[in-house]
Amino acid sequence: MTTGIGGRTAICGVGQSAYGRRLGRSGIDLGADAIGAALDDAGLGPGDLNGMVVSFGSPGGVDADALAFALGLDLRFYSQTWGHGRFTATCIQQAAMAVASGMADVVACLAAVSFSGVTRPGRVKGRKGSAVGGDRDHEGAREAGGGHGEDPVVGMTSPGVGAALAAQRYFARFGASSEQLAAVPVAFRKGAALNPAAIMRDPLTVQDHQSSRYVCEPLRLYDYCLVNDGAACVLVCSAERARDLAKPSVELAAMLPLPVSRREFIWAWPGLGVAQQEDGSWEPGRREAGLYADAGITRADIDAFFTYDAFSFVVWPALERWGFCPMGEAPAFTQDGRIELGGELPVNTHGGLLSEAHVMAWNHQVEIVRQLRGEAGQRQVAGAEHIQWGNVYGDSIIYRRAS
Amino acid sequence: MTDEPSPPEPYEGPLPAVTNLNRPHWEALREHRLVAPRCDHCARCWLPPGPWCPACWSRSFTWTELSGLGIVTSWVRFHQQYFRRGPFEIPYAVAEVTLAEGPRLYARPVDGAEPAVGQVVEICYEDVSAELTLARVRPASVA
Repeated sequence: MTTGIGGRTAICGVGQSAYGRRLGRSGIDLGADAIGAALDDAGLGPGDLNGMVVSFGSPGGVDADALAFALGLDLRFYSQTWGHGRFTATCIQQAAMAVASGMADVVACLAAVSFSGVTRPGRVKGRKGSAVGGDRDHEGAREAGGGHGEDPVVGMTSPGVGAALAAQRYFARFGASSEQLAAVPVAFRKGAALNPAAIMRDPLTVQDHQSSRYVCEPLRLYDYCLVNDGAACVLVCSAERARDLAKPSVELAAMLPLPVSRREFIWAWPGLGVAQQEDGSWEPGRREAGLYADAGITRADIDAFFTYDAFSFVVWPALERWGFCPMGEAPAFTQDGRIELGGELPVNTHGGLLSEAHVMAWNHQVEIVRQLRGEAGQRQVAGAEHIQWGNVYGDSIIYRRAS
Repeated sequence: MTDEPSPPEPYEGPLPAVTNLNRPHWEALREHRLVAPRCDHCARCWLPPGPWCPACWSRSFTWTELSGLGIVTSWVRFHQQYFRRGPFEIPYAVAEVTLAEGPRLYARPVDGAEPAVGQVVEICYEDVSAELTLARVRPASVA
């Protein structure tokens, strides 16, 4: 599959707020930090911004219109997706389509999240849990069940339950173990140790992981991402405009959108046999090959891989979905430093959702751009030219350092 | 379990979102029956219930009683107290069961039953309140 939009747009600015578990600051304030920093990075001002796409809105995140009102933005084009982290690339792709079609020139893509900074009226007494699990799990309240396997009537709740289901099935099918899985959070923590913005920077060992408590067995505490406050923003504009601006531009060389069908389950490739998926085998095919062809490269040219690591387990099927190793071999592939800085395929060099922060993976896009500009400091992947954002749920962007 | 009277305390667990699409499924559980829509064209069954066959898009289906037999194809065990304790005091396990007729559902193993991938199981029924019956799962009895 080719999409015809490769190479036409670029990221011209990136910015972020502080990240912390409980910053006690308003989401609008954090959003302003991220948007302001991205504009400064691009050498632009708020008057240059005429588009916005927000991936995660109220109540945990700030809606795009609220930002426009508070910051005095005048936007020709704005859009917003719901509260699922899977829509990060969707937002960037929407922005790219807006720019390519002439609907907007400079589009801020972001999320600004504050769980601690706002006092919410009318807290309901007697209900337990939070937005991520229990009685207030709004995804579990969805008709016909949540998108991560939530089914609260039988006790199934929180996005982690879906990752746990997929992990258990994967372990049984391929003979993998929790101990092998530890390699993923251990690797990402090494990146976070080199990252001043990261929330979790202390070293993490396999033994730490194995002795940590189960949350939803077979997944343990260190298999779960952070929950925190923070905002991160990238600015999308045309490839031509980006070349005229201050920083080296990073082009969106190729992209594939987010698919959905009964073959898909958010934390698995088709055929793993979770939720409504049929049980079977699957391997990357023409669709995935088309992405690299659109960028004029092969998979071997990818210098680093970034993925939505809400749970450590999902990194395995993500690597497999994009063909970096055969199905069932990601457990072996992720051992021995292969996905660490200096390894064969660095993954989530900033520490990811697991150790840097959970900003709906906008923080991953920011790190990708910094890597391709040579701004990643101690975390720099030497000579990085092509970095892939690719997910277990099937969407992808290949970023390229503009020559 | 199937012969016990409803417990006297009010049920503290989440209640199902019953709709016109799934009401026959929930009503059948009250009768200790497991039913799912079956396509009149291609004969596939599906859960959760939906408005037309998700495999062949036929608009015509018949509610069909299932055998209750299945295989555990995955399972989880909660160690985090997300819910008010009620029925979901940790630790508790939930099995993902692939039923013989094809659909999957989630059900907690009966007390004392340990789930494992590959286990052959059968659905049984728990009346948790005067209005609500839940499917549970136990190792299939072998004749």
